[in-house]
Amino acid sequence: MKDINEDIAWAKINKDVLKSLESPRKLYWVILAVAIAMISVAVGCEVYQYNMGMGVSNLNNPHVWGLYIATFIFWIGMSHSGTLLSAILHLMHADWRKPIYRFAEAMTTFSLMTAGLFVMVHLGRLWQFYYSLPYPNDRGLWPNFQSPLLWDAMAIFTYLSSSILFLFVGMIPDLAICRDNMHDGWRKKLYTWLSLGWEGTDRQWRNFRITYLTIACFLIPLAVSVHSIVASDFAMSQQPGWHVTSFPPYFVAGALYSGCAAIITLFIILRYTFKFEEYMTLSILKKTVRLTFAIAMIWTYLNAIEFASVWYGHDQPSKDVLIQKATGPYAPFWWGMIFCGSIVPLMLAFKRFQTNIPVLLVTSLLLNLGMWLERWMIVAPTFSHGYYPWTWDHNQWPSWVQWGIVFGSFGWFTLLFMVFCKVFPSVSMYEVKEMVYHRSRATKKLEASGMQAKGAH
Amino acid sequence: MSVTNLLENWSEFRHAHPVGDVPHDPYKWAMSIDLDACTGCNACSVACYAENNLPVVGKEKYAAGHSMHWMRIERYWPVDDTTSLEPATREFPDQGAQFLPMMCQQCEAAPCETVCPVGATNHTPDGLNSQAYNRCVGSRYCSANCPFKVRYFNWYDYPTTENVWPAEMTQQLNPDITLRSKGVMEKCTFCVQRIRAGERSVKNEGRVLKDGEVQTACQQVCPTGAITFGNLIDSESKVHQQWKAQRVELTADEQEKDKEADSGLRGYRILEELRAYPSVMYMERVRESAI
Amino acid sequence: MIDNNFDRRDFLKVLGWGGAAVALTGCGNTSVQDGKETVVSYVEAAAYVAPGISTYFNSTCAQCEAGCSVTGRVREGRVLKLEGNADSVINRGKMCGLGQAGVQHHYNPDRVREPLLRNGDKGETITWEKAYELIAQKLNGVSGDNIDFMTGTISGHLKVLLSNYMDSLASKNHFVYEAISPAVQRAANLKSYGVEMPRFHINKAKVVLSFGADFLGAWVSPVHFSQQYAQFRKGSDGQRGVLVQVESKMTLTGANADRWLVVKPGTEGVLALGVINALGLAGLSLPAAVAAMVKPYDKERVSQETGVSTDHLVKLAAILKERSPSLVLLGSAAEGYAHGSQNAAAINLLNQVLGNVGKTIEAAASVPFPQVAPSLGNSAALRMVNNRLADGQTKVLFTYGVNPVFTAPKETNFAANMAKAGFKVAFAHYLDETALQADLVLPLDSALEDWGTHIAEYQPDGVQISIQQPLMEKLHANTRGMGDVLLTLIKKNRAAEYAAFEDYYAYVRTALLQNKRQFADVGVDDEVFWNDLLSAGLVNVAGTSNKLVAKLASEIKLPAAVDTDAKFPLRLIPSVTASLRDGRHANQPWLQESPDPLTTIVWDSWVEIHPKKAAELGIVEGDIVEVESKNGTVKAQAYLFNGIHPDAVSIPLGRGHDAMGRYAKGFGVNPFAILDRVFDDETGELAMHETLVKISKTGKRVIVVKDEGAAGGNQHGKKIAVNIASDQVELSGEA
Ligand code: SF4
Ligand code: SF4
Ligand code: SF4
Ligand code: SF4
Ligand code: SF4
Repeated sequence: MKDINEDIAWAKINKDVLKSLESPRKLYWVILAVAIAMISVAVGCEVYQYNMGMGVSNLNNPHVWGLYIATFIFWIGMSHSGTLLSAILHLMHADWRKPIYRFAEAMTTFSLMTAGLFVMVHLGRLWQFYYSLPYPNDRGLWPNFQSPLLWDAMAIFTYLSSSILFLFVGMIPDLAICRDNMHDGWRKKLYTWLSLGWEGTDRQWRNFRITYLTIACFLIPLAVSVHSIVASDFAMSQQPGWHVTSFPPYFVAGALYSGCAAIITLFIILRYTFKFEEYMTLSILKKTVRLTFAIAMIWTYLNAIEFASVWYGHDQPSKDVLIQKATGPYAPFWWGMIFCGSIVPLMLAFKRFQTNIPVLLVTSLLLNLGMWLERWMIVAPTFSHGYYPWTWDHNQWPSWVQWGIVFGSFGWFTLLFMVFCKVFPSVSMYEVKEMVYHRSRATKKLEASGMQAKGAH
Repeated sequence: MSVTNLLENWSEFRHAHPVGDVPHDPYKWAMSIDLDACTGCNACSVACYAENNLPVVGKEKYAAGHSMHWMRIERYWPVDDTTSLEPATREFPDQGAQFLPMMCQQCEAAPCETVCPVGATNHTPDGLNSQAYNRCVGSRYCSANCPFKVRYFNWYDYPTTENVWPAEMTQQLNPDITLRSKGVMEKCTFCVQRIRAGERSVKNEGRVLKDGEVQTACQQVCPTGAITFGNLIDSESKVHQQWKAQRVELTADEQEKDKEADSGLRGYRILEELRAYPSVMYMERVRESAI
Repeated sequence: MIDNNFDRRDFLKVLGWGGAAVALTGCGNTSVQDGKETVVSYVEAAAYVAPGISTYFNSTCAQCEAGCSVTGRVREGRVLKLEGNADSVINRGKMCGLGQAGVQHHYNPDRVREPLLRNGDKGETITWEKAYELIAQKLNGVSGDNIDFMTGTISGHLKVLLSNYMDSLASKNHFVYEAISPAVQRAANLKSYGVEMPRFHINKAKVVLSFGADFLGAWVSPVHFSQQYAQFRKGSDGQRGVLVQVESKMTLTGANADRWLVVKPGTEGVLALGVINALGLAGLSLPAAVAAMVKPYDKERVSQETGVSTDHLVKLAAILKERSPSLVLLGSAAEGYAHGSQNAAAINLLNQVLGNVGKTIEAAASVPFPQVAPSLGNSAALRMVNNRLADGQTKVLFTYGVNPVFTAPKETNFAANMAKAGFKVAFAHYLDETALQADLVLPLDSALEDWGTHIAEYQPDGVQISIQQPLMEKLHANTRGMGDVLLTLIKKNRAAEYAAFEDYYAYVRTALLQNKRQFADVGVDDEVFWNDLLSAGLVNVAGTSNKLVAKLASEIKLPAAVDTDAKFPLRLIPSVTASLRDGRHANQPWLQESPDPLTTIVWDSWVEIHPKKAAELGIVEGDIVEVESKNGTVKAQAYLFNGIHPDAVSIPLGRGHDAMGRYAKGFGVNPFAILDRVFDDETGELAMHETLVKISKTGKRVIVVKDEGAAGGNQHGKKIAVNIASDQVELSGEA
C-alpha cells in the first residue's frame, strides 16, 4: 500500500496544499451551492418557528424535547473527532495523524458552532437567550448554577473558544507559508495579520511547541467534560431512561465514535475534492478505520452495559422505557441505531474493506446515521413513556420544521467547513514536512544498518 | 452585583426543603384531595381557566398536545382487587371509574427547579413552586424533569391567536395575573395571586392568615368539597388535620399507610418514591365491599 | 358591601359609562380620540368602587334551570368570574363548569347585537322601534288562537309578564319546551307521592340506588346533589353511603358508583320489580298486592331479562334491606322508553316498599306565589307546537330560550313547518338554528346584564327566590332585557296598567317591594330592604310545607323484552353531558374544551361502542362510523367504551350545530336529528332511548382528540389513583 512519498520535496508539499486554496475541483462549488440551499431551508423554518411559536415544531406537552436536542448532542459528539486526532494523538506521538488532523480540528470548531445553533433554535424565547449567561446585571440576577443546562452552556463555550485557539495556534507556521506564497490582496493581508510575524526562528518554534502542547493538554479534559456534561443533562435528571450513571462515558464514547466516522467521510471527500491523494493516503485511512472499529466496539459494550444494568436493576419505569424503545413506535429507529452502530462497523474488521473507498464512504455515513439515531433514541422515548402513564404520548412525530432545521444544519456545517478549506490550509504543511523528514531519516538509518525498510509506522 | 450578592440570593431561594436549613414560617401551603368525594365533574378545571387566564387552544391544538389545563381530571379504570394495581380486564367497569384531579404538586424538592438554567422556577419560603414568566427562556427542561408532567408550555402566542380571546372575551381576563406570551412555561401556582392578596390584607392587621381566608379557585368551586387547601403549619387548618389524621408527613418518603398493611388509612402522595416531597396529599377512593 | 341610598342605575352611571352608547367596557372599546365618548375618571367613582379592588355582587346562574345563586367578581366595571353564593341553599357557594362558563356567554363574540329583519337570506339591521312596530303590525287582526309563544322553563316575574302578555293577546298558547326534562318522572311522582318533584335526601340515605339518574352530572340540580353526595359518602355515624347505579350507558354518576350494574336498555322497571321481589324473599314485609304483583319477577327471570346477575340482585336486595333508610332515584335513562312511565312507577314503588318515603324523600315546599312558580318544560310541548305549525294554526310564533330547529328530531320537519307560520320572532342571544329560520331576530341582554327573579323547580329547603341583577353595564348598546321587551310589548295592549313601570327593573323592584312583608320585617325601610335583597341576591321564604301521600301503584305493565329490529339491531342512547346538555351553550369554549369526564374527548362528538360489539363489527377507536336510524344518519368517530351495554351505542347531545357561532358551528354531530318518533305511552313525552339504529364503518379513520393518553385509563402498576375496600379503612377518625 502506498503511503506518503518520503522523497517528496518540501516545495511540492507547499505547492500542493496551497493549490487547495486556489483551484479545487468543480465539485467544490457544487457542494457549496447545495450547502447554501440547505441552510436556506433551515433559515426559513426557523423564521417561521420564531414568528409562530415553538408549536409548529410539533413538540408538545409533555414531549417537550425532540430533534433539536438530539441533533445538538449529535453535533457536540462530532466535535470530539478533532480533539481526538489533534490533541490526544498528538500527545501520543501518533505521526500518521499529521496530514488529517487540521481538518479534523476544524470539524471540532464547526460542529460546536452548529451544536450551539440548536440550543438557540430550541429555546422558546430565543430572544432572551442571554438570561442563561452569567453576565453582570443591575438586578443581581444570576443563572441557576445547579442546572446542567447552564454547565452545558459554559462547557460548550469554553470548549469552543479553546478549540478555536488550538486550531489557530496550530496553523501559525502554515499561515506564514501562505503569507509568503500569496500575491497581494485581501488574503495576503489576512495571512500576514494571522501569522503574527512568524519567521520560523528557533525561539518561535520553541514557544510554539510549548504553547501547542499546553493547549492540547488543556483540551483533552475539556473534550471529555463537555460531553460528560451534555450527558448530565440527562443523567442528572430524574427521568426513566435518563438517570443512568454510565451516561457520561457512554456519551464520550459515542462522541468519539461519531467523530471518527465523520473523519472518514470527510477524509474521503476532501481527498477527492482537493486532490490530496498524495497526503491523505490509504494507509492513514486504514489507521483511522481501525481506530473507529475499536471505538465502535467500546460503544457497543457501553450500550450493552446500559441495557443490562437497566434490565437487572429494579427500576421498573426505566425498564418500561427500554422495552418501549425496543417494541414501541420508536422500535424501527432504535433497532436501526443498533444495526448502524454495532453491526455495520463489523465490516471494518475486514482488511479488504479498510481501504475500500466506496465501502468506507457508505459505512461511515451509516455509522453516523446510527449515532444520530442514538441521540434521538436517548431523548425522545423517555417523553413518550415516562413516569406518568396518563401523559404517555406514542404518536408524537417531529414536524417538517424540525426536520428542516436538522437538515439545514448539515448544510451550515458543510458551508463553514468548505469555506475553511478554501481559506486555510486544511492539511498541515509543516507537520507533513516533519513527518516526511522523520520518516526518511528513519529509513536512511535502516538502510545504513542494512535492514529493509518496511513502510512507515 | 457581586459575588456576595450572588451567594446571598442563592441561599435565599435554594433552601433544601423540606428537611433543610430554614423551616417554613409562617406559611406552608398544601392541599389534600379526597378521591372518595371527587366525582370527576371538571368544575375545578373550568374554575382554573377562569381564575388563571388559561387559553382555550381549540381542537387542532388540543389534538397536537398543546392544551393548557393546569388542572386536569384523569380518568382511570379501577384495578381488579385492592391489592393489585393491574387494570381490570372485566367486560364492564362495574366498579365505576377513578377520577384524579392532577395539577402541579408543589414539590418541596421539586425536580423542575434544580434544572432550570435561569432559575425561573424556584421555591418560595412558603413552600410554593413558583414560576417567573418573565425570566423563563423556554428551555422546557423543567417540564422534561417533572415526574407528573403538569407543566404547560406556551407553544404559541395564545393572547394573539385567533379565537382564543376575541375582543370582548379579553374583558373576562383576571387582571391579577399576566397573560403568558409564547415561549414561556406555566403551571398551577396554587392560585398564588390569591395567596399574596390574602397575605397582604392581613399584614395590615398584623396577623397571619386563618384557615379558609384564602381559597384556591378549584377548591372554592368544587361541589363536593373534595379539595382542601391551607396552611400546613397551622394546626387549626383543615389541611393540617387531614394530613395528621392520615399520618402523612411532608418530609417522609414512605408514609404510615405504606408501612402498615391494616392501617385503616387512605392518605398517600403520588410517586412518593421519587422523593420530590409533593405538597398534595390524596386520599384513596373507598369502594364498598358489601356490594 | 352596598351603600344606603343605593340606586343600581345610578351605580352603573357612576362607574363612568352611564348613558354612553358603548357601555362600560374597561380600557378596550372606548375611543378617546374621536371625542365621541365621555370618559369619566375614577375620581368620581362611588365610595365602594376602588380601582384595582374587586367588588362582588350576587345574582343567579342562568345556564341551567337549577337556579344556583352566584357571586360575580367585578373589577373596573367588568365581571371577571362567577363563583357560588355561599348563602344559597341550592348551591352553597359551589358551581358546576357549565355555570362558570356564564361569563363566556356574556362576553361571547358571536352574540346578536342588533335587531335583524329577514330580507331574503340576509338579516337586515333595524331599530327596536321598527321591530316593535312590526310586531304590532303582524299581530294586528290575528286571533289569539293563532299566536304561539314557545319558551324554555320560565319562572319569576318574567313568567308573570309573559302570561299577562299572552292574556292581553287573548292567547292561551304559551308552550314550555325542554328537550331534556324529567317530565315522565314528574308525572310518575305525582301518582306515587302526590307531588311532581319531591325533595331527595341523598345525604340521609345509607344506600342510594339510582336508575340512570345522573345527579352528579346533569340531572335536576347537580351542584346541590353533589354536595349531598359528599355528605353521603362521609356518612352518618361513620357508615359511608353506598351508591349503586343501574343504567345501560355509564353516566358520571355511574362512574362514581360502588357498583355499576349494566342493564339491557329499557329493563330498569323489571329490575326494580325484581328487587322488590327479592326484598320480599329476604324478609321485608310487602303489602299483599305488591307481593302478588312482583311475584312473577323471580331472580332468574329478572336476571335473564335485564342481564344483571342473580348474585348481584340478591346482594342488592340484601344491602337495601340491611341499611335503611335508602333512596331510589329515577333518571332519564329509565324514563326514555314507550313504557317509561311504567318503569318510573316500578322504581317509585321500590322506594315505597323500602319505606323511604318521608325519610329520604320528602315533599318540597310549594311556592306560595303560584304566578311566579316555574312553568316546567317538557318535550310534549314541541309536539304540540309542531302539530299546530304543520296544520297552519300558528300565524305568529315567538321563541325564547329554545332552539327547536336544533333539538327537534329531523323527522318532525320542524324547520319546514315553522316556515308555514306567517311571522316568526326569535328572541335570541346567538344566531342559532331557530333564529336563522325567524323573520325577526331580537337580541337579548346576557344574564349578567339583565334583571330578573328565578324560582327553580327543585327546592331543597323552603323556597328560594333568586334575584338576577346586572353585574355590569351592557356590552352592546342594542340588546334588550327580555323583561323590558315584554314590558314594552304589553304596554301596547295594556298601557294604563303598566304605565307606572318605566322599565323591567322598576317593575321587579316594585313587585318585590310590594311583597316586602313576605320576606322581611314590615318595619324595614324600602331602600334598606331592597339593598339587602340585592346584596343577598336571593330571598328565602318558607313556602307551604306538604306531606307526601304514598300511593302504591296497583298495576305496572312492563314489556317482557324491549323490541329489537333485525334491520336496526342497536339502541341509540343520546347521552346528556353535564357541560353541553341540549346544546344551548355549545358556543362557550370552556365547555367545548372541558373533556368529557368519561371519554376525555373534547371539541367533538363520538359514538360509544362496547369493545365486544366493536370487535364484532371490526371497528376500532377513531373509525368514522355511520349511525343510521329510520330517520337519518350521523357520522362520528367511534370510541370503544366498556361502560355501555353491547346492544347499545351512545352519542352525546349538544354538539353538531350548523349555526350559533364559531365555537359551536361544525363541531360534532347532532343525535337529536335522527331520533325515532316514539313517545311515552302515558305522558306523550318523546321516548329518547327508543331509537333503533344500525352502525357501519365508512372506511375513514381519525385520531380521537382527547386528554387520555396512549396508556388509556391504565395506571401500569403505579400507585396513582388508588382505591381501598370499605372494610379496610377507618373513616371515623378522619378530619
Ligand atoms: S370540582 Fe371537585 S369533584 Fe369536580 S372534578 Fe374537581 S375535585 Fe373532583
Ligand atoms: S409537580 Fe412538577 S412542576 Fe410541580 S413542583 Fe413538582 S416537579 Fe415541579
Ligand atoms: S422552560 Fe423556563 S422555567 Fe422551564 S427550565 Fe426552561 S427557562 Fe426554566
Ligand atoms: S390551585 Fe389554582 S392554579 Fe392550581 S389548579 Fe387550582 S385553580 Fe388552578
Ligand atoms: S347547576 Fe345549573 S344553575 Fe347551578 S351552576 Fe350549574 S349551570 Fe348554573
